[in-house]
Amino acid sequence: MTESFRILLVEDNPADADLTREILQSGPRAIELTVAATGTEAVDYMHKRGRFASAPTPDLVLLDLNLPGIDGRGVLTEIKHHPELRRVPVSILTSSLSEKDVAQSYDLGANCYVVKPLDFKGFQAIVWELENFWFSIVKLPRGEE
Amino acid sequence: MLADYNLPQWSGMEALEVLLHEEPSVPLILVTGVLGEETAVECIKEGATDYVLKSSLARLPVAIRRALQEKQVREQRELAEELFRRAVESSPSGILMVDETGKICLSNAVAETMFGYKCDELAGQSIEMLVPDRFRRLHREHRAAYHNAPIQHGLGKGRDLFAVRKDGGEFPVEIGLNPVHTSAGTQTMIVAVDITARKQAEREAEEYTRELQRSNAELEQFAYVASHDLQEPLRMVASYTELLAERYRGKLDDKADKYIGYAVDGAHRMQRLIQDLLAYARVSSQARPLQPTDSGAVLASVVTQLRQTIEKNNAKIVWQHLPVVHADEMQLGQVFQNLIGNACKFHSEQPPRIEIRATPAGDMWQLSVADNGIGIARESSARIFQMFQRLHTREEYEGTGIGLAIAKRIVERHGGQIWFDSVPGAGTTFYFTMPKCGGGIA
Repeated sequence: MTESFRILLVEDNPADADLTREILQSGPRAIELTVAATGTEAVDYMHKRGRFASAPTPDLVLLDLNLPGIDGRGVLTEIKHHPELRRVPVSILTSSLSEKDVAQSYDLGANCYVVKPLDFKGFQAIVWELENFWFSIVKLPRGEE
Repeated sequence: MLADYNLPQWSGMEALEVLLHEEPSVPLILVTGVLGEETAVECIKEGATDYVLKSSLARLPVAIRRALQEKQVREQRELAEELFRRAVESSPSGILMVDETGKICLSNAVAETMFGYKCDELAGQSIEMLVPDRFRRLHREHRAAYHNAPIQHGLGKGRDLFAVRKDGGEFPVEIGLNPVHTSAGTQTMIVAVDITARKQAEREAEEYTRELQRSNAELEQFAYVASHDLQEPLRMVASYTELLAERYRGKLDDKADKYIGYAVDGAHRMQRLIQDLLAYARVSSQARPLQPTDSGAVLASVVTQLRQTIEKNNAKIVWQHLPVVHADEMQLGQVFQNLIGNACKFHSEQPPRIEIRATPAGDMWQLSVADNGIGIARESSARIFQMFQRLHTREEYEGTGIGLAIAKRIVERHGGQIWFDSVPGAGTTFYFTMPKCGGGIA
């Protein structure tokens, strides 16, 4: 039986979101990818509000920092302040190289901070690395609380 | 001239009159038999230098000697006065002499023109007349203080001084004061220079500098924002053309593969250009303060970073003791990296041998990076430090042509210079200067 993993990708650029989807689909694991295009949508999804009432909690959140409305920092704060959601690993995936963004993200509880490489091959390698790390190397919290 | 008082046709007094008219500088001594004291005094009053009684002719040589000495002294004094007058008149500065009470006793034409007065209008007036109303009281106080301790005084050092013309117009001046001790008391020679034109030029230069700094900063900001914001859409172009290349290679026709290849290559090149542009802009946007930096240690760490390149090219890098310089460590490293990187890249058939040296040059250290590579043709020397200038095709040597432009910008930010010497086919030496440390650490 192939284990399936759920990823919530919070990304406002559809081209970027599709690129990540393409890479994940060509990877070795079965991934269920959900894309939230705004911070508000991401927060609603995590809290299972409105149309996300029956949405499953993801195994990993890939979070862009610069989003319209509630930005990545807001989403991160929301997740890491919630007693049940805080255990969900959040990986920041951004093009920002700013040291301030890096420090602030970890302070807010990010589990890792990854800068998007500029070239496709590099980006593909990093997405697969992330997949491998979180779904093979790391033991994730599952099921019972 | 010696003259008898009583002569057949005319008297000694007449001779005196003619002489004073024709040659006033020639002394006249009356030599006379009988001359009452009253007449003698009269003669002296009229301008005779002396008189000698025939009964005491022994006094004549003494009188002549004294008369000639007086003549010489008088002539020297007159010469000095003439020189002084000419110096004052021909001076390009305005000159005024002021007595102890602040009255003007002498002025030259330049001063009169400068202050807008006719030649006889200044004499006898108070010097405060030339000072703007609002400064007059203060000026009087300063003058009193100066009078108590008169010293030579430089031309308006450190202070903006203003003067007022007859028509009420004000203008900036520089003033020099010189106490002159005369029998009539201490006078002050005032040298005044109208600095309106210079102040105007200074203001324009300042304005121009500010404008230049502003537009430079704006341009830098523009370059940074443009290149930073261009990266995101370009990342999409590059990624999707690569994705297309990967997914559809061999599935369309040969032309499609080739064209996708061009698109991928173009996007990559543009990415490199933008990254280089950002690196160039960062020379000032991410500049750190200059501090004592061990250039040898910086070089050693650069050599470690370049190990792959060095090993690939079988390069040998040598240096002796290198100095501590006043530098931004990261940026000094970048200069070394770019120069050594180039030296490895543009190697000849022999394996590259790169030597780094330092020699003192005034308050700078002159560092040099010498190689035995292909060299640089003289006609390329003007282009080599310009941004994105390449001397070779992309097929021959890769790179965007930013390295030396960045090196130049860094060196110039440190107040140094960069240049090179080259013998095509034999090698190139790049030189650059970095400031020595202020505290004598070297």
